[in-house]
Amino acid sequence: MTSATLYIDRDAGLQRLHPLTKLVISLFLIVLALVIPNMWAGYIVFLLGVVPLALWGGILQPLWSALWKIVLPFAISMFVIQGLFWTGGTPVVELGPLSFKAEGLVFATTITGRLLAIMGSFLLLSLGTPPDDLMISLEERGVPNSVTYIVLSTMQLVPGLQVRAGKIRDAQRARGLETEGSILQRMRSMMPLVEPLVLGSIIDVDERAIALEARGFSREASKSFYRPVPDRRWEQILRWMLFIASILLIVLRIFWPLINRYYLGAG
Amino acid sequence: MIIDLEDIAYAYPQATKPALRGITLSVPEGQFLAVVGGNRAGKSTLCYVLSGFIPHHFKGTYRGKIEVAGMDLTQSSLGEIAGKVGLVFSNPFNQISGARFTVEEEVAFGLENLGVPREEMHERVHRALETTGLAEVAGRSPYALSGGQQQRLALASMLVMEPQLLVLDEPTSQLDPAGKIEVFEVLNRLADEKVMTVVIVEHELEWIGDFADRVIVMHEGRIVNDGDPREVLVDEALVAMGVGNTAYTSVAREAREQGLVNNDGLLPVTLDQAVDFFSGT
Repeated sequence: MTSATLYIDRDAGLQRLHPLTKLVISLFLIVLALVIPNMWAGYIVFLLGVVPLALWGGILQPLWSALWKIVLPFAISMFVIQGLFWTGGTPVVELGPLSFKAEGLVFATTITGRLLAIMGSFLLLSLGTPPDDLMISLEERGVPNSVTYIVLSTMQLVPGLQVRAGKIRDAQRARGLETEGSILQRMRSMMPLVEPLVLGSIIDVDERAIALEARGFSREASKSFYRPVPDRRWEQILRWMLFIASILLIVLRIFWPLINRYYLGAG
Repeated sequence: MIIDLEDIAYAYPQATKPALRGITLSVPEGQFLAVVGGNRAGKSTLCYVLSGFIPHHFKGTYRGKIEVAGMDLTQSSLGEIAGKVGLVFSNPFNQISGARFTVEEEVAFGLENLGVPREEMHERVHRALETTGLAEVAGRSPYALSGGQQQRLALASMLVMEPQLLVLDEPTSQLDPAGKIEVFEVLNRLADEKVMTVVIVEHELEWIGDFADRVIVMHEGRIVNDGDPREVLVDEALVAMGVGNTAYTSVAREAREQGLVNNDGLLPVTLDQAVDFFSGT
């Protein structure tokens, strides 16, 4: 493994979209899930937005297998904590001295749905977009290369760090460090790893900075790009439309109570 | 003169002793100059001076005039120097930018920063990949390469920018024997073609004897010898400085001292010269 990207390379419609289109679609789905004032909003966005797009890219199965591992533990704790400890709600299920409150369950349902939609959209972007294409297209539009560098280099350096951590660990085990056993024992065995790993990485940073500078990283001239990231007219239009729609939705959500009161006479 | 250093002195921050103590050096365009010296002689520091990282990256105190490729490096920014002066150092892994995912794009990274048009970039990248023998791995991840390949990638990434001066700081010292051979093959071509001025810090004296036009010896922050490799590298004083002599030089000197050969000429540095030396008696 040489880079920690999640991208799944398939010759499918989703993958062929311009990276920024996918970025905007993901953000739009997230806005939708957060803005619609309904407990099922997140689930609807997930089922009608994320799932069809994931199918289009042939990535539904990996998306789902990553998603439920994130959402399920969260959902369980949400339902237990919010359901049991909602103060002053209406009890629906009684378990001896404990009772689940309706308001708590509604809240947990809403939050879980939103998480499903947000993480789903995020995974849709990560699994369906080559990260370098996304960063190049951001750089082409004026995002500083120091920002994109942080994202891209992290993806490539993390696997390297893992290899290095493994080597340091093996060296320490050869000298008698216990790395197996109880969870506490394992946590304790992590400590001696921190210093060589972190210090070693800091020393490398200086050389990396020199290598980058020697290649004109901080040069203040207009840049060019080796790899073309093809864009299409309809995608540009779609991006603007989704962007404007997102802004409108957010504005509407913020001012909804006011509109409701003064124009619709509901107050 | 592509390099014109005048009385350069430099001390790293918090260092008790200066790393360079009065370096004056002129190098004409196209010269292949080797730098030898023991530990802490100031070789790497000289490389940083020639590539502008002193005083722009390393703080500390310096004095003197640094003129390289027609620029006063103390007045130019690192962004301006990039592309005119290239630098390759020993750790191949740390020279990979990490910003691009394939070998080909990694080579192009410097050209992107210089704003070279795409068509020209393609042409130059492919030429650099050919020169360094990396054409077959162009599509691979830079991190999936061997040490020797990574170092050739670092070289390609500099060559592609077509600098007027290329500074190489022990480019083979962290490689295994196979990797060293690969990198030397590229360096040999550089020495033969003379498309750019090269300053190389290197320990392989026999190789220097074969390929360098000129060699300077550094010791404790000063240049203590400067001249034709044939004359400079056979100096016995190099042994005390931790540089040493080649086996051919040592054997020939020993043989002469013991009266086994009657040759008052220059001691040999390379195998060919040794053959001449011993057959001349």
